[in-house]
Amino acid sequence: MEESESVQRKRPNYLAVFIALAVLTGLEILVTQLPVPRLLFLLPLTLAKAALVALFYMHLRFDRRIFSTVFAMGLVMGILLIFSLVALFSPQELDVK
Amino acid sequence: MMEKVISQKPSTRTSLGIDSRKLGIWTLIASEAIFFSSLIVTYIVMRGRSTVGPYPHESLSVPLVAFNTFVLICSSMTMVTALASIEDGNQRGLRRWLIATALLGLLFLSGQAVEFTLLARDGLSLGRNLFGGTFFTLTGFHGAHVLAGVIWIGFLVARAFRGGITQTNHIAVELVGLYWHFVDLVWIIIFMVIYLL
Repeated sequence: MEESESVQRKRPNYLAVFIALAVLTGLEILVTQLPVPRLLFLLPLTLAKAALVALFYMHLRFDRRIFSTVFAMGLVMGILLIFSLVALFSPQELDVK
Repeated sequence: MMEKVISQKPSTRTSLGIDSRKLGIWTLIASEAIFFSSLIVTYIVMRGRSTVGPYPHESLSVPLVAFNTFVLICSSMTMVTALASIEDGNQRGLRRWLIATALLGLLFLSGQAVEFTLLARDGLSLGRNLFGGTFFTLTGFHGAHVLAGVIWIGFLVARAFRGGITQTNHIAVELVGLYWHFVDLVWIIIFMVIYLL
């Protein structure tokens, strides 16, 4: 039987998530027009949007823990890759060479 | 002597009681997260090292891409609505929202085609400088993922019209939905890294 597990799953308010995503995108664009440090303001907004999509649209908030674990493994490896390469190719490192 | 014929349809459950197809798509998504991380960090590292123009600040159009971002956010909304429809047994809603998702995906790709054309007109190409090389590789691969999603949804729409998706058998919608939302999630990161920073 191929009955989906999602039938029993709690259903979030998808419209509220959509409105939050749209508002956060608007705020991101607003930040680029203001004389503020961009990364400091943009990073939390972007991470909030990504978290909303993963938790509610991809149902990680309500689904089995193993799916979050599998996804987190990929994310952790990706983040480690980003920090490693940024450190490796930083301007100071290139100046030394 | 009568022989009893037993269906040999393979089980889709893992030993953990999880649907193997769903575990498979999550594994794919995890590997894609690493793949896109490598492309994003390559862009971050190389973008300021171009020795010839055009440079990012003089080439990129934020309003056009902001519209494209909104289109992709809308497509995520239509995708979850398609899933919610079939969970409620609403076949017509499923077909309608899947088609809407595919059309929004095509609209996103059209916007990307316009952007690439404008950039090419400004002299930016894959081989022009490091910015062009990393920019087109990252956004091009993302566009290819959107195209793959649109084709996948197209097959699903055809299956839905044949009545192959039901209230109790709609895992295919959930799988394509997970893929589609991940592609949206990646674009959220790309939008900030390339266009807003």
